[in-house]
Amino acid sequence: MRGVLGVFHELDSLVDAVAALKKERSGDITVYSATPRHEIEHVMAHGPSVVRRFTLIGGLLGATFGYWIAIWASDYWPLVVGGKPIAAWVPYTIFGFEMMVLIGSLATVAGLFINARVPRLTMTVGYDPRFSDGAFGVWVACPPDKERAVAATLERNGAVEVRSER
Amino acid sequence: MAAVTEPVRAPRRSNIPSANVQLPAVQSYTQVNDEIIATLRGTKAWFVGLGLAITALAIGIAAWMYQIYFGLGVAGYAPPVMWGVYIITFVFWVGIGHAGTLISAILYLFRAGFRTTIYRCAEAMTVFAVMTAGLFPILHLGRPWKFFWLIPYPNWRLLWPQFKSPLVWDVFAILTYLTVSTTFLYIGLLPDLAALRDRETHPVRKQIFSLLSMGWRNSDREWRHFARAYLFLAAFSTPLVLSVHSVVSFDFAMALTPGWHATIFPPYFVAGAIFSGIGMVFTIIIPIRRWFNLKHYVTINHLDAAAKLCLTTSLIVGLAYVTEFWVAWYSGNKVEQDYFINRVFGQWWWAAWIMLLCNMVLPLSLFSQRLRRNTTWLFILSLFINLGMWFERFVIVVPSLSHEFEPWQWTQYAPSWVDWAILLGSFGWFSMWFLLFIKQFPVIAIAEVKEIIPPPVRRPHPHEDAIDTSARHLAFETETPGEHD
Repeated sequence: MRGVLGVFHELDSLVDAVAALKKERSGDITVYSATPRHEIEHVMAHGPSVVRRFTLIGGLLGATFGYWIAIWASDYWPLVVGGKPIAAWVPYTIFGFEMMVLIGSLATVAGLFINARVPRLTMTVGYDPRFSDGAFGVWVACPPDKERAVAATLERNGAVEVRSER
Repeated sequence: MAAVTEPVRAPRRSNIPSANVQLPAVQSYTQVNDEIIATLRGTKAWFVGLGLAITALAIGIAAWMYQIYFGLGVAGYAPPVMWGVYIITFVFWVGIGHAGTLISAILYLFRAGFRTTIYRCAEAMTVFAVMTAGLFPILHLGRPWKFFWLIPYPNWRLLWPQFKSPLVWDVFAILTYLTVSTTFLYIGLLPDLAALRDRETHPVRKQIFSLLSMGWRNSDREWRHFARAYLFLAAFSTPLVLSVHSVVSFDFAMALTPGWHATIFPPYFVAGAIFSGIGMVFTIIIPIRRWFNLKHYVTINHLDAAAKLCLTTSLIVGLAYVTEFWVAWYSGNKVEQDYFINRVFGQWWWAAWIMLLCNMVLPLSLFSQRLRRNTTWLFILSLFINLGMWFERFVIVVPSLSHEFEPWQWTQYAPSWVDWAILLGSFGWFSMWFLLFIKQFPVIAIAEVKEIIPPPVRRPHPHEDAIDTSARHLAFETETPGEHD
């Protein structure tokens, strides 16, 4: 992976730089900030996160499993009590609900990890420890012939430090 | 004609809106990192606290080993009172956990700003409280090493748990709650672990934080999916927190025992759990903000808002107490009526009156804004709430079992030294984990605090007017008696 990394001290400078880079179609852009900011979300203009699909599927599977295990076990080892159902849906809703929450939550975390690409084994390229402190950053993955133009755009919009990395 | 003038009055002090949750004394992202990460340095007081916690835990473990060797008879059970301190303490600790999830998840969904600086402590409290609670049903077993029989798994005995038993409902509810709470805490910690990793200079600690933060880089891709995942986890945790204590209440409400068999139990238990948890949050957060110099993060406004929540849940709990008496009277059931008369005038009258005083009467003081903003009073009150809520569970468990339908069932109950030692051990276990947590991980969510302070900008921020930087609440704090004692 090869590209240019810009470090910013102000949020609006960063947003201006990203807008300019997008206009120039410079390459894949990654923005770093110590906290989520709507300004960055708007300028990056990504669609809604697909984590919700993981949540939905996990929740449905969990609810199904919760009801199934209780009904199956009751049917496998029936305790016959006069006037009482072998499989009672009211108490079994507790298992359906708890399993929906459990599997749905774990599926949500799986969705986060898969889509955010964590765990990440290496992080030396295109990152600076200042991004978890007070600085903002932009990483533009681009071929060598575009690096000069990208660096110029970053500097023009207020980057305090620009460097090429690979 | 003489002009009529209004008499001059001294200006009244205005009511400070606790919804004002800005942090005027916090100016930059770097300051947030510096000040919150500085709390991780070990101190003598912390080591002393940890030593005391481990000592209390050791006493509890010794008592448990004694109980395993000699049998459950040493625990002070007197038939038919076969649920005693262990089940009381189980319900107590599960309840403590609830406020953590309320603050971290429910208030997140409601966008209540005052949660930001207190939720990490509350969430950690939840995880360790549920870990503590989970021990008690096991301690209560005659053969605790067979506890896994409650978990449904394919086995050579071809045995499955009884899915219609409230005790099995408990297993599912508590294990789900523990797993989801731990997951929620850990996911929220990821960005802060990355901040710790990037600051750390010690190679071993840096390696540990690198592993724990999973290579988190604060990229826009990570934040986009993180925000959505965190929202869904909060959305799952919200009904979960309501369900868990409802399920715990079913342990009682499904039985035909006087005082237990009531439909009011689930909401009554949930309100009581949140009330007791908020009490424990005050017990924990007030010393932390003082010892760690975090008064400008956990401001008086935050405590004021949390105190209002405490007052509200206290009123709900009080209503539930009164409703229980009304239901007993209105039912016309002689046994139920006798039980409730016995509750307040019988052999356990003192426990009932401790409960009523601590949970209904003393929290009424929070109608006073001056007392809501007095940290000394809040801390003292929180101790009374913890005491009162333990006795609430005592009043639910012991008088009911010792005063059932037939006079031959009426008996005495006195906890033994083993009960008290294990209760002490549970506080040691909880405190040990909590103290270890606050020196390894940030007690305030670094990334979330950064969200509520103005970002550094070249041009004025378009919403700058909406941010109150007047420090009005700080000016008020100094006037509050007890705040700087």
